[in-house]
Amino acid sequence: MTIIKEEYTFSEILANPKIKERWQKVRRYFFLRESTYDMSNRCNIRCQGCYYYVGDKQFARENRDEQAWRHLLHKEKERGITFVVLAGAEPSLVANLCRVCYEVIPLGAIATNGLIAIPADIDYRIHISVWGNDRTSEKVRGAADMLGRQIANYQDDPRAVFIYTFTPDNIAEAREVTATLADCGQSISFNMFSAPVGYQGPLRHTADSLGKTREMMAELLADYPQNVLFSTYNIVAHTEPQGLHDLFSCSYPRSNQSTDIGLGRSFRQYRTDLQWDREAACCVPDTDCADCRHYAAGSAVVTARMYRHAVDPETFSAWLDYVDTYLAVWVRGYEKGQNLCNSYIHPPVKKQ
Amino acid sequence: MHTETNQTISRVAEIIIDELKLEDVTPQTFDPDLDLVDEVGVDSMDLATVALVLRDEFGVRIDEDDYPKLTTVRIIAQYLDDKRNESE
Repeated sequence: MTIIKEEYTFSEILANPKIKERWQKVRRYFFLRESTYDMSNRCNIRCQGCYYYVGDKQFARENRDEQAWRHLLHKEKERGITFVVLAGAEPSLVANLCRVCYEVIPLGAIATNGLIAIPADIDYRIHISVWGNDRTSEKVRGAADMLGRQIANYQDDPRAVFIYTFTPDNIAEAREVTATLADCGQSISFNMFSAPVGYQGPLRHTADSLGKTREMMAELLADYPQNVLFSTYNIVAHTEPQGLHDLFSCSYPRSNQSTDIGLGRSFRQYRTDLQWDREAACCVPDTDCADCRHYAAGSAVVTARMYRHAVDPETFSAWLDYVDTYLAVWVRGYEKGQNLCNSYIHPPVKKQ
Repeated sequence: MHTETNQTISRVAEIIIDELKLEDVTPQTFDPDLDLVDEVGVDSMDLATVALVLRDEFGVRIDEDDYPKLTTVRIIAQYLDDKRNESE
């Protein structure tokens, strides 16, 4: 009979050599301090349900002055930012500004639709958004032959990670897209459509679509372990009926009043006019917090909850898998390890 | 009580130095009133790590909501001593 302890000490959890090794591997990256930057208010396509074109940020004046950006990034570095995420609306339209950011803060990621290649000297992680097969992309994003053009732009490019956003309408076709990407040697990770504030369209997930997405993610993770950067705990965290905020208490300033420590203290979300607003600051502004299962949000929100996951070896292993995945997806040069926990662990609640 | 807190301060300082690999400082020279966030550069993940080691050492669970209050070694030591006294 296996005796399961009610609670382990941290040193007992780390007594497992595999857990200790992974813990030591991921904790070397605890120095990462993130902020995000809208680079341009223009985009070469227009996707249904895009959070950029909701709210006020889309109307911010676009600052294209390289010196102004360089000055901002130096200021960011001075206040401790070590990792930048360049997004909204389409950063590839202003590659020169992305280069300025890279020259000042060399760790970061760029979120792009992948239709315009970002020059190789900007050595950030490149996240290329995929919303289904080409038929679906043409319908939802209004662009033809997307996947082929994205792959051509980033063939054999070690910066590239394709991010497949699951909606209720594209769950089944994730298999053909993943197969195509795997055939081309590409890495892929998963995102969940998270409704912008006020959005009531068909892309909002339902209980049924969450369940089906969970099954498809598990199949793809099992079938393409060399290409799919994900873990069982990632699947759990992003397909539970509750969103990330309800499960983990979002720590971005928009949901967190504390300015004492962590994201509430350091995170800013700059708009194209280089201004930021604490009330709107999170990695996916104007997303409905109750529906947020976004991969970028999870990377910070789940990762920040280390303490509550350190209750037993299995739960802590699940958390380590999540952090290992986050680092592999976001940080150039970080190699993902084999997942430690393949069981479905329910996210632990905060203990008093 | 005063001695107990001083002992706790020393042990907390030792754990923070060890876990965060702080250089050029010892438990004896660590200013217990130094602001860990502003002056030492401790962030939330560092503090969570320290909190787990403190949990092992003192048998005290530190609530996530209490992290922002734990700004110095002295405050952490007092927090731990108070929690232990409550449970006695």
